[in-house]
Formats: sequence, C-alpha cells, structure tokens
Amino acid sequence: MSTAAPAPLVDEALAADLADASLTLARRFAAGATLWCLAPAWEPHAHHVAVEFVHPVVVGKRALPAVALTGPDLVPSVRISVRPGDVVLAVAAADDSAVASVMRRAPAWGVTTLWIGNGERPPQGAADHVLWLDDPAPSLPATGGFVLLYHVLWELTHVCFEHPGLLTTAPDCTDEVCVTCSDEGRLAEVLTPASGLDPATARTAQGTERVDTTLVGPVAPGDLVLVHAGLAISRIDPEEP
Amino acid sequence: MTSEDTGFLYPFIDAEETDAAALLSDLAASARAKAVESAALRRRSLDECGPVLAAAAAEIARRFAAGGRMFTFGNGGSSTDAATLAGLFAHPPEHPPLPAWSLTADQAILTALGNDVGFELVFARQLIARGDGGDIAVAVSTSGSSADLTVALREARRQGMYTVGFAGYDGGEFADSPDVDACLVVRSQSVHRIQESQALLGHRLWSLVHSHLGRPDAVSEGQP
Repeated sequence: MSTAAPAPLVDEALAADLADASLTLARRFAAGATLWCLAPAWEPHAHHVAVEFVHPVVVGKRALPAVALTGPDLVPSVRISVRPGDVVLAVAAADDSAVASVMRRAPAWGVTTLWIGNGERPPQGAADHVLWLDDPAPSLPATGGFVLLYHVLWELTHVCFEHPGLLTTAPDCTDEVCVTCSDEGRLAEVLTPASGLDPATARTAQGTERVDTTLVGPVAPGDLVLVHAGLAISRIDPEEP
Repeated sequence: MTSEDTGFLYPFIDAEETDAAALLSDLAASARAKAVESAALRRRSLDECGPVLAAAAAEIARRFAAGGRMFTFGNGGSSTDAATLAGLFAHPPEHPPLPAWSLTADQAILTALGNDVGFELVFARQLIARGDGGDIAVAVSTSGSSADLTVALREARRQGMYTVGFAGYDGGEFADSPDVDACLVVRSQSVHRIQESQALLGHRLWSLVHSHLGRPDAVSEGQP
C-alpha cells in the first residue's frame, strides 16, 4: 500500500510552499488575524490545527487565535465567522464542494486561504497557499501525513515570530491584475438584491458596498460578482474555480 | 532553525530585517529536515511495534467479528488523532465499516463528567456506561501517563476489554501497566513527531485488522 511507505513527504517544492504559507500566516497573526480551520470529511484535523495554535505543546510559545468550524452548512458558518484579514485553513480533497465554495468566496471576505490535501490538486489559484501531498490513497488523511504538514506549519510560523522585522511587510502583489488591490475587478458577494431605486449591496474585502447590477441582471444573496468602479461587470460561479 | 538562545549567531535577525528571502530559505530547509526526521521515526516505529501491532490486530479482528466495539480517547491533539482513528474504522474509505467511536465526541457528556465527577473520570465513566467485556479500548497519548487515560484503561481492563495504549517518549505509565494489553511506543522526545508516527501506527493497525477480517476463517473463529 502506497500510504504505508514512510518516505519523507516533503520535497523541495512543498518545503517552499510551507515556508511561504508560514510567513504569510505569521504576518496575518501579527496583524490580528484569527485562523479558521475546516476539514469537512476528516473533522478531527480541524480540531487538531486549532488546538495546536491555541494551546502550543512547546512551553513558552504564544497562544494564537484559532477555531475549528465543523458541522453542516459550512459556507454560512465561515461567512459569519471571518473578518477581513483573517485566515482560513482547510484540510480537504480538491473536489470538496463546500471547501471549494469557501475558497472561491474568500477574496470577497478579505480572507487569506490555505488548503491542505492529497491526490488531485485544486486548480491553479484555488487558494493562496496549497500544501499538497500527491499520493491519492483515500485513507492517506489517517496516516499522519496531514498532521506532519500542519505541525510543520505551526513550527515554522513560530520561527517567523522571531523575525519581527519581517512580519510587518505588506504582502507582495505580483499578479498582473491583482484582485485584492486594484479595481480591475474585485470579487463581491451579494448581501441584498437591488430593490426599487436602491442598488444591491455586496460584501467585499473593503466592507459593504453599494453595487450597480444593471449589467449582470437580477442577483440574489450569496451570488458572486466582479465589481469595477461600483459596477458589477460579470458573474462568478461559486462552484467554478 | 534558530531559537532565542542562538540568536547571537544570526546577526541579521533583528527588528530592522526586511529581506524575507533568507528566512524563507531557512524555513524551507527546516521543513525538509523535519519531514526527514518524521519519516525516519515512522519507519523505526513501524519496525519496533510490528510484533505488537500484529498481535493486537489479530485480537481486535477476533473481537470485532464476535460483535465487539471500539472506543478511542485521548487529550488535546491526541484526542483528535483518536477521533481520526475511530473515524477510519467507522467510516473507512475502503473496507467494511466497523463500530468505533471517539469518547470526546459528545461535549455534553464530556463537560457533565468533567464538572460533576472530575476530569480524571471523563473516559472511565463513559466506559462504565457503554462498555462490554468484548469491546476494545484505545488510549492515545504522547506521555503515556495522563490520569484520565490510565483510569479509563483500568476500568476497561476490569470489564475484560482488550486495551491498546499509544504512547511516546519511553512509554510512560502505559509501558509497565498491567491494564495495557498492547503498548505501542513511539520513542521520541518531540510531541509532534510522536503524533505523526502514532497516526501511521493506527493506520497500520486498521489495515492489519482488515487483513484478518478478510480471511475466510476470521468470522467463524470469532463466533462462540
């Protein structure tokens, strides 16, 4: 069985991903973030990540705010829990529809995302940080491989706290069109549809905004749209990456 | 990895530091080193625990075949690893499901017992209520000495359950306890590395149990 061979699970690429994710996480924590942990198919992983950060096994390491979100209706649970600047960490397969929906909506909530899983990878850009084991074995989530990944994430995050000068650096924006800092098309999640003369309202990383939905037609709460200069210019399918 | 104690060796570490490249390089090297250490420990633990795993799997399979159930429990991160193990038995991605539960799943019971009779009894009292001599008790710990686990294992033994104890370090109290039938010790000083190996041992145990149950004679052996 492929999962039984305890070869080192972290190659150079994954090590670099873990390093990047740890620095991002440390920066978010330094700025006041809460870490929200999801693992719909293997919920104990969500609890393990949360207790790791809240109650460190290494005496003297600071307690950090982390919370497991479990149970049904995961998307609504995350929606009401997160605040701009927070971080969502999911342990889930790439085809987990609830997690994919959370990841898709995260930019509208102003949330940074980490996705741990195995087997087929999520599409490029599905999360800010993808920490992935390629072994597709369906029982891999119970072999300790994910535990290793989030243990290392915790350990490296605390190393970052020893480098305070690097925690205040603004994240680089290297995308050609960065949805988080340009107005080319920011993601927005509809809160209320247009009614009479009142425009729709939508949640974006900047807060609640009034959005003209004339171009995209009637919208319902939870719909995702791209907003440019106050105008919804296209719809985004929350199920599509 | 640098610690506060060795900070003087790394003069670039200060509040003025602005280039993340060196840190990211250190972090990535550290991640790889930890993964190598974890893999070596997992390999060694599988080898060392092989005979105990084989014996435990045979007896657990016999008990499942005879109608026994599994209860798993632990504290903190180990409680989540215990829950993952129960989930692997009860909701497996392959092989037939078997009756297994984590005793930390019900917060009403856990807090009622913790508040009313004391935390040492949170698992033992659940075994008193639910347990049967034909069942299996699995305690997951890194120290091997947590009082709520040792008390629960004593109760399990009193009832005639088969008892499995996962421990780290030198095995703690589990190692010499007459209440532990199968003691699986991951010999490390790191809580994190111990838990990673314990998960793999639990996965191997599950896999071996199904090897036994898959044999044509397994069920008949277990029936009275």
